[in-house]
Amino acid sequence: MLVGGCDVGSATGKAVVMKDGEITSYVIIPSTTKPEVTARTVMDEAIEKAGLSSIEDLDYIVGTGYGRLKVPFANENVSEITCHARGAHWLSPTVRTVVDIGGQDCKVMSMDDKGKVLEFVMNDRCAAGTGRFFEAMARVLDCGLEGLSRLSLQGKNPAAITSQCSVFAESEVVTLVNEGVELVDIVAGLHNSIAGRLNSMVRKVGLVEDVALTGGCAKNDGLAKALEEKLGVAVKKLPQDPQIAGAIGAALIAEEKLDGQS
Amino acid sequence: MVDKGLERTIAERDHFEFLLKFLEESPSETSHLLIPLVRANLEHYKDTVRCIEEGKPVIASYFSNAPEIFTAMDIHWYCPVAAAFAGAGANPYLMNDLEGTDKLAVSSDICTLLRMAMYYTEAGLLPRPTAIVGMIIPCDGIVALHEASRRSKQWRDIPMFAPDPPYFTDERSIDYFAQELRRMVDFLTEHTGQKLDIGRLREVVEVTNEQYKLWQEINELRRAVPCPFNWGVGGGPFALTQNRWVGDSRGLEWFEAALADSEKRVKAGKGWLENERIRLLWFDVHPTWFFDLAPWLEEEWGAVIVMDMFSYCPYTLVDTLNEETMFHDLAKRNLMDTTMVRQAVGVADNFASDIVRIVKDYKIDCVVWPAHMGHKDGAASVGIMREVCRDLGVPFLSIGIDTFDPRYTTPDEVKNRMSQFFTAMGLG
Amino acid sequence: METNLKSKVFQEFSDAAETLANPVLQHWKDQGGKVVGYFCSTVPEEIITAAGLVPFRMRATGSTGTEESDAYYSSINCSFPRHCFNQALTGDFKFLDGVICVNSCDHVRRIYDNWKRFVPTDFIEVMSLPRKTGQDQVDWYTDELAMLRDKIGKYFGVEITDDLLWKAVKLHNETRRLQKKLYELRKQEKPPITGAETLAVMVAGTAMPKEQYNEKLRELLDELSGTEGPGSHRARLMIVGGILDDPAYVKVIEDQGGLVVTDSTCFGSRLMWIEVNENASDPVAALAQYYLTDRPSCPRMYGEHDNRTQYVIDMCREFNCDGVIGERLIFCDSWLVEHYMLGQDLKAAGIPMLKMDREYLTSGIGQLRTRAQAFLETMGR
Repeated sequence: MLVGGCDVGSATGKAVVMKDGEITSYVIIPSTTKPEVTARTVMDEAIEKAGLSSIEDLDYIVGTGYGRLKVPFANENVSEITCHARGAHWLSPTVRTVVDIGGQDCKVMSMDDKGKVLEFVMNDRCAAGTGRFFEAMARVLDCGLEGLSRLSLQGKNPAAITSQCSVFAESEVVTLVNEGVELVDIVAGLHNSIAGRLNSMVRKVGLVEDVALTGGCAKNDGLAKALEEKLGVAVKKLPQDPQIAGAIGAALIAEEKLDGQS
Repeated sequence: MVDKGLERTIAERDHFEFLLKFLEESPSETSHLLIPLVRANLEHYKDTVRCIEEGKPVIASYFSNAPEIFTAMDIHWYCPVAAAFAGAGANPYLMNDLEGTDKLAVSSDICTLLRMAMYYTEAGLLPRPTAIVGMIIPCDGIVALHEASRRSKQWRDIPMFAPDPPYFTDERSIDYFAQELRRMVDFLTEHTGQKLDIGRLREVVEVTNEQYKLWQEINELRRAVPCPFNWGVGGGPFALTQNRWVGDSRGLEWFEAALADSEKRVKAGKGWLENERIRLLWFDVHPTWFFDLAPWLEEEWGAVIVMDMFSYCPYTLVDTLNEETMFHDLAKRNLMDTTMVRQAVGVADNFASDIVRIVKDYKIDCVVWPAHMGHKDGAASVGIMREVCRDLGVPFLSIGIDTFDPRYTTPDEVKNRMSQFFTAMGLG
Repeated sequence: METNLKSKVFQEFSDAAETLANPVLQHWKDQGGKVVGYFCSTVPEEIITAAGLVPFRMRATGSTGTEESDAYYSSINCSFPRHCFNQALTGDFKFLDGVICVNSCDHVRRIYDNWKRFVPTDFIEVMSLPRKTGQDQVDWYTDELAMLRDKIGKYFGVEITDDLLWKAVKLHNETRRLQKKLYELRKQEKPPITGAETLAVMVAGTAMPKEQYNEKLRELLDELSGTEGPGSHRARLMIVGGILDDPAYVKVIEDQGGLVVTDSTCFGSRLMWIEVNENASDPVAALAQYYLTDRPSCPRMYGEHDNRTQYVIDMCREFNCDGVIGERLIFCDSWLVEHYMLGQDLKAAGIPMLKMDREYLTSGIGQLRTRAQAFLETMGR
């Protein structure tokens, strides 16, 4: 049984091909302005990588993500909330709380022992705590995204960044730089501030271990550490690229649908 | 194993014990006024601890519920939201409490004080009261808090009564509220066994009347240029008449001392500040972080908080002729002359006329509406405030703060805004 | 609005929900009729009707912004009064002959003060609404209503007799009965009308003379009775909240497969689930009793949370709902805490609940869609 999961996000498109419950291939590409183009491109690449000849080789495809309604070859679409939870759970079955930090939204899901979502909370009205925010900060500080993570881990006295809004946080950062505050402390402060917001969201759904991070920003170790401190528990690292959790979940649901049909 | 609520009260009691010692050992210009206030707080916490330990009735109530009646009935009460600012003594656990509050699954667009009170209730940080006399005036948030308290696991079995507030303040409204106060008395008797003796009430009210008379005089002196009164003891009149030494002659002594202080300065033509340059109306209560802002205002700008909501409650004296007149006037006082309730309750004319009165009487140079994030009705009144100030020819500033949480708009950000405002308006 | 209902009369309702002064209301005015706007469900429409006027429930349909009202309100105020007041300032409410307010909530009560000062209006009144719902408060509110009756009578030059009041009560009760019948149709497995469509019908009911509305609603009921809807939904939902007057909002939820079959909202069941007692001796007291106490309350009322929760649970059972969507306008304190408590209560009762914050103008369709879809998925639908 060959299935595909296609997660069309605002910043990146992800596709996963699974065969009989195992990942055969996965691809992550930057998104284009047209979700249907992103979907087609990323899925084609995943097909190729899986050694298949065409998309018709897949028995069922589920689309998810912000652009899920524009995945023309998808048999159906499922919300990224459900998909990220399923994907994270499949990657690490002890996970019960998922913090997903995407390109322009962040969300927290709580789930049961089968990866089924119990409650969720989303922040999709502002950039704070999303990939956009970190990109903007990396630009202002001229250090790149890996740089942000690295610097944050070195900060011993994180600066207090109080702005709720990422635009204002940016000017707060510029002010701190001009005041001569250590870069590592500024960056650590930024991560603390975001972790604080994520913490509030986690509290809304209720903190149950294990907690995992998904989405592009999950690879930011500085953020993971800051979040661990706020939550008071360790964040479980997922065995695969956390950015494909949504696409994995979509593929798993595709498989379920096939099982159901047969 | 000490009850958590009691634990916290004991910690606050010890905090005031420490504060008292500190003040006694390092006297300052205002020690003689601050020390009695701290002593009053300390006594309050001691009483709460004692009542809980001895199994005596303790009521959770609010300063808007005719505290004179509580004194007359010899019932000890504490205010459930006061833990947030530790009875005007600045809460040493504020940041911890805020973090605890943030963990509640309640969005932060409701007044922080109410969220904190929900947290205190759920976390069991308040001493369990025998009964609750609630406050469902002047805002939606406080009503919501009461609904949450009633329903909470911790307090759902505790009897609660809340006097219903009319929206207006005419005679019919006052009579209605007076009836509610009578029901409050019945409720208190039912749950504490204490009875209200009218003679005793008269005694208490006669003392508080004296307190209010002196308060009026102090306020009159605050009109003097330069202003003789210091923001640091600004909460004193409210604290003593509405919360601590209600009907207590020690409260009288304090007022006499505060008055004497002001009189001395005025006679000498001296203000509290050497160089008073800006006379400011801070149109709200003092934020928990005022100790960071107010001294800076004085040092940097020569700005004196000549009047604020804590102090502007032109209390009409209670006619002690008989039971009717006393209940009537106490009702009137609660509806119209309670800190912050006065300015938020009812139609906009209530606060608008206050601004006009204060600006004129106190020769105010600028009106500051701190714009606490919980004051939704106030937020909907900025156009009216602006117009009133425009007509008075006085500059108006709306800041946008959180009275309880300094992280919302930091004191530094507030200082920035105020500096820009003063400069732009050519003040100071 | 997009609808599958091929009904002329429904189209009229839909149009009325999408405008302020709809053609029926306009016609009434053209004939010399008068219209009085009111804020909040607790203002008795019957008194206005008895005066020979048409009551109009205030909303800001068609508003595109708050540039004018931003000078009076702040960004931490609810968007509903901000938009309403904006429209007042831009003259969109010129068709009103008067406005009645009540201190419903901190945001809306200031509409009275701002309107009085800044929008030239000859007749604008405010009543004092109690927070409690006991007999003493009913007595107080009876007096308030009696004074309102006198004021309206005096200003509009009519005598509002008890007879006229009873006539109005009967007329409005008939409206309630008809609206309830409409809701009853949604108990079916395949309801013939969607939640969005129902909302249009309910909103229309607050915007035209009741006699004509009742007639049209009877027509719609005739068309719908005995029919079935497509039944293509994947879940049956109940919406709980305050001022929700935009069918488009409900439609986004329903497009995901969550059919809204009932509600507890300001333009919904709370308006008509119970009737005014026609057997009371004093019509003003009967109205006070009804509007303050008998009717399912809104969370600005104190001491009624248990009743409100029970109402929701009973509704869910009666309409066989799979879940509840709790909506609130951001910055509303009353609904924030209400949903916080309701969520816990419903969890204990085994009913899933999704809480959603929104702004008065329906925007962020993508986000709304995602949440609704995710909610249905969590219910396993």
